[in-house]
Amino acid sequence: MHFLKLISTFLKVNIQMSLAYRADTVVNILLNIMWLGWELLGLSIIFNNTTTLGGWGIGELIALLGVFRLINTMMASIIWPNTEKFNQSIRDGSLDYTLLQPAPSMFLVTFSRITIWRMWDLILSIVLIVAGVRMAGDVATPLNILTFLLLTVSGAIVLYSLWIVLIAFTFWFTKFDNNVTILQALLDAGRYPVSVYPAWVQIIVTYLVPIAVATTVPLQALRGDLTFGRVLIFLAVSIVAAWVASLVWKAGIQRYSGASS
Amino acid sequence: MSPEPILVEQLSKTYQVPEREGGFGAAVRSFFKRKYKDVKAVEKVSFRIEPGEVVGFLGPNGAGKTTTLKMLSGLLHPTSGRASVLGFTPWERKSDYLRSMTLVMGQRNRLSWDIPAADSFLLNQAIYRIPDDEYKKTYKELDELLELEPLMKKPVRNLSLGERMKCEIAAGLLHRPRVLFLDEPTIGLDITGQARIREFLREYNRRTGAAILLTSHYMADVTALCERIIIIHHGQLKYDGGLTDLSRKIAPFKLIGVMLSDADSHDLSRYGTEVQNEEDMDKRYLQVRADEVTRVTSQLLADLPVHDITIADPPIESVIEQAFNQ
Repeated sequence: MHFLKLISTFLKVNIQMSLAYRADTVVNILLNIMWLGWELLGLSIIFNNTTTLGGWGIGELIALLGVFRLINTMMASIIWPNTEKFNQSIRDGSLDYTLLQPAPSMFLVTFSRITIWRMWDLILSIVLIVAGVRMAGDVATPLNILTFLLLTVSGAIVLYSLWIVLIAFTFWFTKFDNNVTILQALLDAGRYPVSVYPAWVQIIVTYLVPIAVATTVPLQALRGDLTFGRVLIFLAVSIVAAWVASLVWKAGIQRYSGASS
Repeated sequence: MSPEPILVEQLSKTYQVPEREGGFGAAVRSFFKRKYKDVKAVEKVSFRIEPGEVVGFLGPNGAGKTTTLKMLSGLLHPTSGRASVLGFTPWERKSDYLRSMTLVMGQRNRLSWDIPAADSFLLNQAIYRIPDDEYKKTYKELDELLELEPLMKKPVRNLSLGERMKCEIAAGLLHRPRVLFLDEPTIGLDITGQARIREFLREYNRRTGAAILLTSHYMADVTALCERIIIIHHGQLKYDGGLTDLSRKIAPFKLIGVMLSDADSHDLSRYGTEVQNEEDMDKRYLQVRADEVTRVTSQLLADLPVHDITIADPPIESVIEQAFNQ
């Protein structure tokens, strides 16, 4: 309850911050509309020339795009802005104040900045997912939908954990500004079904740096392609990832308070 | 739980600092092989501070003041030694501890730049879980002392340095901490601004009984607020005691000021060491050992055409400087 209240307070503060600069606000809205148009255009080009991609039909691909956008919204509205703030706070020392606050530092670092302009992408993602599923003519059983939702959440957790580990590296390297660029580059690979990539890329993005877990896998669940055992494995992966991330974060904070001046 | 808010025993902190020669070759070599040097920032410092005490923490730049404050507020782990503040070990960073102390750093910002301080205050209220009625009460009190209300509506970036500092301090006190660590709270402020903050701190201490450990480069802060001072230099404790005792221990001198009818024609060197005093150019000043004052004074009066004579303690600045250099 307390954390929900905190998130809503952060959200309020961030809306106020976003509205502080009028020109910036207008440009942001325009940019986001343009961005959406660009994405839809790209999609229509692909599907005017082909109807399947890596064995997936058009409806399934639209749903995949929806999941991809959902994850991307998380990146754009939370991960990118907080990374920027985090990198800066290490350099100017304001991280000290964050660490002095009586709330988990990982939580504070995750939610203190929220770019509200990308929040409406949430709605778009959901529209894409729902439309895609219906177009594919899939008769998704309630169980499929449930596993789909579960795996979307667990995919987001995996990505989030990767992010935490990446930014925590800053505690050891002092300057590591490209931390999230790596994550974004990998994530961009998740725009298309993993099956379009050569085998070695598939292995990397599924097992080594499990980006596919966040995009393709939930969709496979929706299509009913996953066995129960694999669903369990993916859920377990997300729990382990979150656990490892919190350990790395703790060690990072320890390192920070051991070394900084 | 110990009754004293701050107890420090043999606290030490050693940093490992990367070190290399200047020049391109050295830069490349150090990329592949780093050399580190141990820097002892704080070395076996011990002291205790009782509830309600205001203590000045002094030392030249790099003496280890900020490092000590950061250890006591839980930001840094010490290399060795113990500390207990309000019964907590600071670097365990327990929520209950963080909720009962504050660290204000004059050179860092805690408030968000783009929104009015009032909104940042509300964020703090949420993070520190301050109930509404308690928040209102504390805010009213802080407003009364710091005159915050007119500043609350402007974005922080539009405030002057002095106004911003008031808000920064208020933000650090909304949760009514019982221990205050203040690192240069008046830095960069003009004389009136400094005086305001000082007055506020004194009043806050009187009202809440909070213990305050304060560093400042402005001696006026220290003389106005602290009866007791702790001096560290090169990470080591040099002095811990009353401000007034300091001059007696470190510099058992008095300053005798004499106004002479033909001021420049007399040689005063046989009476004591002559020193400059920029605040009073009419008189000439002699530094004389405390136990010699009576003898020297009567001699001066007997030998010279004295119009006026004063005997005073040396200014605290120079005493402290002497303490640093010992």
